[in-house]
Amino acid sequence: MAGQAQILPGNLDLLILKAISLGPLHGYGILLRIEQISRGALLIEQGALYPALFRLVRQGLLKPNWGTSDNNRRAKFYELTPAGRKRLHQEAADWNRLVAAIALALGAEPEEV
Amino acid sequence: MRFVALLRSLASSLLRRSQMEGDLDEELRAHVANRADDLERSGLPHPEAERRARIEFGGQERYKEECREERGGIWLASLWTDVRFGLRMLSKSRAFSLVAVITLALGIGANAAIFSMVNALLLHPYHFRDLDALVRVWEDRGIDEGYDARYVAPADAKELSTHGELFESLATYEMRSFSLGAGSEIQPVLGCRVTANFFDVLSVNPAAGRLFSPGEEQPGEHQVAIVSDGFWKRRFAGDPHQLGEKISLNGRMYSIVGIMPKDFDYPVPVELWVPLALTPEEQADRTQLSLQVLGRLKDGVTPDQAGSALANFSRRLEQDYPKTNTGRTMKALQLRKELYVFTLPLFLLLQAAAGFVLLLACANLANLVFARMIGRQREIALRTALGAGRGRLGQLFLSETLLYSIAAGIVAITASFASVKMLRTSIPAGWTKWVPGWDGIRVDGNVLAFTIAVALGAGLVLGLATVLHASQVELNNTLKETGAGSVTPGRRRVRSALVIAQVMFAFVLLVCAGLTIQGFVRLADIYHGFEPASVLRVEISLPEKTYPETVKITNFYQQLLRGAASLPGVQHASLITNPPASNVDSETTFFKIEGQPALKAGEAPSADLQIATPDFFATLKISLISGRFLSEADNANAARVVVISRGMAQRFWPGADPVGHRIKLGTADSTEPWVTIAGVVGDVRQNWWNPATRPVIYKPFAQSTQRSMTLLMRTQTNPASYVSAIREVGRQIDPGIALRGIATLEEEVTDSIAIVRIMGILMGIFGMVALVLSSIGVYGVLSESVAQRTREIGIRLALGAETPALMKLIIGHALKLTAIGLAIALPVSLAISRAMTSLIFGVVSMNVTIFAAFAVVLLLVALGAGYLPARRAMHVDPMVALRYE
Repeated sequence: MAGQAQILPGNLDLLILKAISLGPLHGYGILLRIEQISRGALLIEQGALYPALFRLVRQGLLKPNWGTSDNNRRAKFYELTPAGRKRLHQEAADWNRLVAAIALALGAEPEEV
Repeated sequence: MRFVALLRSLASSLLRRSQMEGDLDEELRAHVANRADDLERSGLPHPEAERRARIEFGGQERYKEECREERGGIWLASLWTDVRFGLRMLSKSRAFSLVAVITLALGIGANAAIFSMVNALLLHPYHFRDLDALVRVWEDRGIDEGYDARYVAPADAKELSTHGELFESLATYEMRSFSLGAGSEIQPVLGCRVTANFFDVLSVNPAAGRLFSPGEEQPGEHQVAIVSDGFWKRRFAGDPHQLGEKISLNGRMYSIVGIMPKDFDYPVPVELWVPLALTPEEQADRTQLSLQVLGRLKDGVTPDQAGSALANFSRRLEQDYPKTNTGRTMKALQLRKELYVFTLPLFLLLQAAAGFVLLLACANLANLVFARMIGRQREIALRTALGAGRGRLGQLFLSETLLYSIAAGIVAITASFASVKMLRTSIPAGWTKWVPGWDGIRVDGNVLAFTIAVALGAGLVLGLATVLHASQVELNNTLKETGAGSVTPGRRRVRSALVIAQVMFAFVLLVCAGLTIQGFVRLADIYHGFEPASVLRVEISLPEKTYPETVKITNFYQQLLRGAASLPGVQHASLITNPPASNVDSETTFFKIEGQPALKAGEAPSADLQIATPDFFATLKISLISGRFLSEADNANAARVVVISRGMAQRFWPGADPVGHRIKLGTADSTEPWVTIAGVVGDVRQNWWNPATRPVIYKPFAQSTQRSMTLLMRTQTNPASYVSAIREVGRQIDPGIALRGIATLEEEVTDSIAIVRIMGILMGIFGMVALVLSSIGVYGVLSESVAQRTREIGIRLALGAETPALMKLIIGHALKLTAIGLAIALPVSLAISRAMTSLIFGVVSMNVTIFAAFAVVLLLVALGAGYLPARRAMHVDPMVALRYE
């Protein structure tokens, strides 16, 4: 599995929110979307997606609706609620700050100390 | 927001559970199908694509379980599943369930029954408004006067009622017995003289008519009375038109102005209440403590605050009236706690014992549940493998044990209706009517709530213990094993600890039961010192109006004694103020010993004062220690003499003979004459609750005549057959005098110690239950450990182990567990029995034989419980044992 990274449990929620923010999706669609937007770099255990989705629905961040998928199957589509959108912005900002800080720390040279 | 969402999902999960299950299924199926479509499109053949999609998805059931948990409301939704599962388990293993439910029901039922008594006697003895604000006030003279000698001097009471900071209202009262009726139809009735505000302080209203008005407190006013419901029903058949009817009390006419409700019997069950009309001289009296005081504290005043304020108030009285009030301190006690001196130690002990029975039952049941758990290890492992988390498993076990405890609670509550009624009626009403709240011993809301809480608590504790126990299941090993599962050493230790705990509880309970029963037997013995079986007692109270002076009183009693003694078969007839087992403390008096320096009021010696006729000692067969008994020669004109008890002689004249010494009754500066000690007599136990026999001074009746006396007659045949004869004797002397309290002394003794007998019986039952439960526990654990070790035993046998050695091994295990339990229990029960000795009126004392006997009993039980499994092990066929797994 070269070039692929395991996702930490907490980050899965953020990725799901991001994927859905681009348009309502069903479970399998979310998986594909994450693969697509991360250019296949992130590996998600398929079954683990669903407990995360249920959790986000319970928190009121996602709203499920039954619809029909591209290949004509009945599927449950998820869309962001306003609270979900707010959470996404907040968590994305937090994440960027964290990454920037870690990158900065990792890029430190001996002479800078 | 999140909370609302949670609620919504909870609600929907409950309402649309099956639909959501379907949705979940469909959603996951759609996912796998979509994935399979994609894989097929990329060139895989259809079956292979579906297989790959399922593998990639992972364990469906596990994720479903996780989804259910994430959805929330899982515990509610799955509870029903668990309860149904639990019910199936219950009905599948009927024997186990029966044992579990009965064991728990015993423990819970014991607690319910005892709590019904605690609830009625300790928590709600009276049903007055704001009961906790009601207090009794009395003046303490620093001598041990007994619980019912709580009086205040009239002038002090009056001064207190004008001291407005503490009390909302303050009433005084005194008990008085009246002769009701006139001519030949005289009846004794117990009444109470009360101030007009007495009923207002208690905040009770009459069932009919009115209360007293302040104007009716004046002496000489027209006489009015309020009667009890019982009196009203008996005398006037409950006819309400009889209000205003006149009755004759002590020869004066009283008109009935009110009838009290049925359940009102304060201060004790009396027939009627009349206004307390004191003359100005009586009101100004500061020397005699004669009135009882009842107060309602102001809002926000605690009994403690009242106590210290009263102490200050007493100091002021002391300064103002040093002659009379030195050494007196006013004290207050909540009405609710008035009888705590008896009830608290008794019922706390019983409640604690019941709690121990429950603990024992729980330990026993835990052992049973754990034993069964071994058989269920595979089920647990399977559930874990299928994604049941620890919480989910916990819920499963909890709902199972809660089912047991709820079933047991239902059994216990059903049984408690009968058992509580039995407790209530087990003591004669003649005795229990003096115990406030006794009629309230029943299964009411409080008892129900308590029982349910106990049942749920027991189920919860058991469930949590099971969860902790089950969480040690090793998933892989258990699933791989084909056998019935194994026991880890850690878990065997837990079960051994439980057996040890059971032995411990059982020992403590047995010792307490033994001590209580021994105490009861000893109590009966104490009274048997005077052979109560052949003594009849009769109470007489001569009214002041017809017997104003000593000569008339003496004449009456002389005729009575002569009449009684002349009845055929009567050996002795005598008078005494307070016979033994009367359930009333004697009057106490200070005294001064001639030649010894005068002491301050609080430190002066005191003794019980009895007034007796010479034959009293012969009637009760009290022995003479030195000097002489009282004699007929000690009449009003002779030199003043007294006889004292042995206990008093030993305490105040240690090592010397007090005969011939002189004492003076009353405080140091009293004007009483000096009296000579004529003799010393044996000790008599007055009442069972007195921790020790008290010093007693016997004054001759002829030198200290009293209107109210008790006649005692020792008879050759059954004393009960003399009742009508003695009534006839009384009628011939004066038909206007009522004889009451006619009973044999034996009846009095039996009734007076009934409460201790009941306690002994209850403790005995608890002890037996404890013994049975703990022997079942020891047996269970041993027989199971033998079953576990069948293989090991087989190998040992095959290798030539001798059966005696094996027997020793197994029985030794049983004895070891019991011995450890006993070693822990010994100091505990020593401490408890020491506490009992000081709490339970000194009737209980440490007894090494009881300790040793019960230790032996428990060891024998362990031996028996170990023997059966050991015998089974002996008959193990090595071949069978080796193939066992």
